[in-house]
Amino acid sequence: MDRFNNTSQGTKPSGADITLGFIPLIDSAPFIIAKEKGLFEKEGVDVVLSKEASWASIRDKVTFNLLQGAHMLASMPLATSLGIGSANKVKIQTSFTVSQNGNGITVSNNLYQLMYSCCDAFQALRSGHALKLAIRHRSAQGDLLKFAVVYPYSSHHYQLRDWLSRAGIDPDNDVQIIVVPPTKMMGYLRSGEIDGYCVGEPWNSLAVEQGIGHMLVTGYEIWGNTPEKVLGANLQWANENEEEHYALIRALDKACKWVDDENNLEELLNILSHPDYLNCPAAQLRYGFSAIKPSGQFDWPMEAYQKFSSDKINRPNPQYALWLLGQMHRWHQLPVASSLINVANNTFNDDIYCRALRIDHPRKLKPLIGSYEESEWLDLIKADKVRVHPKGIEFGFVYL
Amino acid sequence: MHSKTSQLPLTVMLVDNEPARAAIVEQALLDNGYKVIRRLENTQNLTRAVQESLPDMVIIDIESPDRDMLENMSQLTRNNPRPIVMFAEENESTSMEAAIRAGVSAYVVDGMQPNRFKPILQVAIARFREFQALRLELETIKTQLEDRKLIDKAKGLIMKHQGCDEAAAYKALRKLAMDRSQRMSEVALNVISVMNLMGEVE
Repeated sequence: MDRFNNTSQGTKPSGADITLGFIPLIDSAPFIIAKEKGLFEKEGVDVVLSKEASWASIRDKVTFNLLQGAHMLASMPLATSLGIGSANKVKIQTSFTVSQNGNGITVSNNLYQLMYSCCDAFQALRSGHALKLAIRHRSAQGDLLKFAVVYPYSSHHYQLRDWLSRAGIDPDNDVQIIVVPPTKMMGYLRSGEIDGYCVGEPWNSLAVEQGIGHMLVTGYEIWGNTPEKVLGANLQWANENEEEHYALIRALDKACKWVDDENNLEELLNILSHPDYLNCPAAQLRYGFSAIKPSGQFDWPMEAYQKFSSDKINRPNPQYALWLLGQMHRWHQLPVASSLINVANNTFNDDIYCRALRIDHPRKLKPLIGSYEESEWLDLIKADKVRVHPKGIEFGFVYL
Repeated sequence: MHSKTSQLPLTVMLVDNEPARAAIVEQALLDNGYKVIRRLENTQNLTRAVQESLPDMVIIDIESPDRDMLENMSQLTRNNPRPIVMFAEENESTSMEAAIRAGVSAYVVDGMQPNRFKPILQVAIARFREFQALRLELETIKTQLEDRKLIDKAKGLIMKHQGCDEAAAYKALRKLAMDRSQRMSEVALNVISVMNLMGEVE
């Protein structure tokens, strides 16, 4: 069996069987805990973690098997498998979701003041209608308001666009959307380089705490409960190393339980803050896991917090994959679309999850899009006639 | 299909926070007759720089945290006539793999013929590899220097403890190393730790 040890160029040398990449964000916690608590080892796999500098680097290294798998945005296995945003149409599969929710949209103090002066109704500020008025108000200025997201193929990007367009704001022409690494978001907001962002925690809570901005709405309020990060694996590697892949899933499943256990919070923060991992003060990470959030203009609904463990959270849901593909299509990333249902089912693999965790009865999903033809369904997506059920993707879609 | 414009030399932007490597790559590209329009060591204004310079190709260190920013540009600039995308040709996967293994990532203007950018990529890959080898060599030299320091220190301790001269101390160390089939530096380290235990080191 090829152990893929010929990775000494361009990546960290490793004598281990499996190298997994991660981006130093709070939702990489299950990977770090599985390593630090010896959970990979207990499952009989020798895993090295490799801290990566960008999602692009994660994608490229998993594509060429320099990394066998990685902490990924849920959209990445789909985009990569379809060959959008990169040259190589290499199959990346996910059979385990590591986290759910945790995103929020925050605007700068200046923008908030302008929005407030246009319309001070609580609901209008949260729904984006005040933003629409603000945009109209400043339209004479010429330059567009700038919003940042973490990656073009991300829930943050699609949630922001969805929120804007529901308020009657055209995300393509009324604002400018750029990509900024999460760790730089607050600095950009403070300096006025951007006017708002959609990002995961702790960057919304910290902006509120430090008086840099106002968080308006959470991802939960836009889409309900939806997956956030996943374990993405090189499909060829996963096919040739089934047992190892199962072992990774089992170890991460245990790690997710550990992360969600409140009793472990202090130890978790200590481990994550280590220079090898997130390399920051432990206190900075607290908002990512704790039920206590800084009090701002608007509160976080309990459901909006990032969670890591339960069968509903961890089991891949092809319906969500289809939703993301629909978003890619809606926002011009996926021009030609066909066999999306196959892509969704193959890329978000429920079956492997059940086999790895020895769950007997795979959840039977209804036909993903009811009786619609794929092209019809995509038209509905484009026209914003399909939404995720307000409680979350677990409950399917609602048609307007 | 060769239009007139396709005969113009490609313009390349280099983004690398490793100034030495950037200089090597730039020189190699110039030597091969390519044009480097801009070399960025600081990616603060990467987006603006790309918009201003409109390069045909961007070569960037795979470990740069700013790649995600760059990847968004093809989306951002939908109305821009020169969007930047990863190689569009699927059959380029071998050269892509070589690039990624060497730590090079590259972006080209959509629709560009692979035969135009491939030689440039080849040059970059070669220089990145060369640089990698150089760095490895430097590390080896650094280790050797540290080894020598250890050996000198152990020699000094033996001379003091045994009241012997340098040559005798060196001979003793070498004999130990040969007997145990260990490296001189390992033996030196052992000697230093033992002396340390015995309180011989300050």
